[in-house]
Amino acid sequence: MVGVVLKKRYLFLIIFIIATVNAKEYAVVVQKGFANISVGKIKAIYLKKLKYLGDTKLVPINLGAQNSVRRSFEKKVLKINHSRLKSYWIKQHYLGQRPPITLKSQAAVNAFVKKVFGAIGYLEASKADKDLKIIYRWSD
Amino acid sequence: MKIFLLFICLFAALLAQDSQTEKNEYTLGEGVQVGTLPLYLGGYFSVDYTKKQNSERYRIDDIAFLAYGDYNKFSYLLEMEYKEFYTYTNFNTTHTIERDTRLHTERLYIDYTVNENFMLRGGKYYSPIGFWNLLPINVLRDTTSYPVSTRILFPKFTTGLYASYNQYSDNELQIDIILQHNNDIDANYNNYITDEHYGAGVSYAHNDLKLKLNIGMFDNVVSDTLSTHLYYAVASLQYDTEHYKITSEFGTQRNSKGFTTKYAAYLQGGYRFSDKHLGIVRLESYSQTDTNRKDNIAIVGYTYRPLYPVAFKAEYQFHSLHDENQFLFSWSVLF
Repeated sequence: MVGVVLKKRYLFLIIFIIATVNAKEYAVVVQKGFANISVGKIKAIYLKKLKYLGDTKLVPINLGAQNSVRRSFEKKVLKINHSRLKSYWIKQHYLGQRPPITLKSQAAVNAFVKKVFGAIGYLEASKADKDLKIIYRWSD
Repeated sequence: MKIFLLFICLFAALLAQDSQTEKNEYTLGEGVQVGTLPLYLGGYFSVDYTKKQNSERYRIDDIAFLAYGDYNKFSYLLEMEYKEFYTYTNFNTTHTIERDTRLHTERLYIDYTVNENFMLRGGKYYSPIGFWNLLPINVLRDTTSYPVSTRILFPKFTTGLYASYNQYSDNELQIDIILQHNNDIDANYNNYITDEHYGAGVSYAHNDLKLKLNIGMFDNVVSDTLSTHLYYAVASLQYDTEHYKITSEFGTQRNSKGFTTKYAAYLQGGYRFSDKHLGIVRLESYSQTDTNRKDNIAIVGYTYRPLYPVAFKAEYQFHSLHDENQFLFSWSVLF
């Protein structure tokens, strides 16, 4: 009986380790001189509620609508599902606001953020350029 | 007819231009950029049908055009609208046709973002009171009808200055100041004719819950020689999750002598069966002492959105003033 309980515990431990190892880690990146900000502010920037930080114009960048990193970002960081986010931007169009610009690849996100101070992007943590600063991490 | 043709030509031209610029792929409900200018265009329309015991009405209600954009810390928005453009009413066996081809200024303002916390606005804008009045057009609201409380307590529009303070962390805090001390840009296109409006609001959001409190005073201009100061207070709540949405607003209005509206309130619950299907139940109640009118209303509605910016809505209203019982249907599109 004790052996069965121990086997079950090991099984759960193994499943947990496999899930943890397989969970991809993602990061929100900015230029190195950019201030650290809370996840609440990251959300506000991506919903275009927060447009400036000091005198710096903020430029949030999205990946394509079907991109798995974007889906994870919407679910874990913005905490809004994709269809509700779409309806949010349609309402914002009526209020005179545009959604964040979209880039095709994580390499393009790296390049854009390196070039534009105030740009903020997200990508797989392992693909983040070393010259950029990670201000927030999350995983699936 | 000329207006329709003009409108179709304008939009077709914009789409044609847009198809040449690869990065600006047009999506219905998100407007279109004119070349690379800081100018986006869009609009919306709505048609509706109302059936009461002795009458029925077919109406082209809204045809509106939007233009907006931003440049550095400035942004602007213009919305022009034909309201009740065409109305066919059948009362008993007599029918009437009315047309209103005046183009109204719905909103016209310039914003200046001072910094991450402060924003200033000058022009004509929706009074930022409660939740319903922030997105009041048919295609974006939950039902064809609007709660009575959103039209009797405060001016729907304000022409003047607006300042907001925002603080974002895990929660959101917003403080609004409304200032009007001049005539309305389009005085007849408002629920109150007013030349003064001073108001303040505070709202707090935490996760899916938003709370808001507004107070204010405005001058209700009845004629050139007669006007009354009216004071209002509105408390609002919204709880919006993936499937459920509950919204409630409760308000009161008075003048120097006493209550003009003792209370006006609604409680609305919505359930999203899916992205396309929404069920609505709304309970309303109000008591106006100046007109001696009271009503309790229960509304059951259903909205079908094949795409989010396209809405087909049906609702039935049960009133304690039974003659007001009615069925409404509407079709509206944002583009």
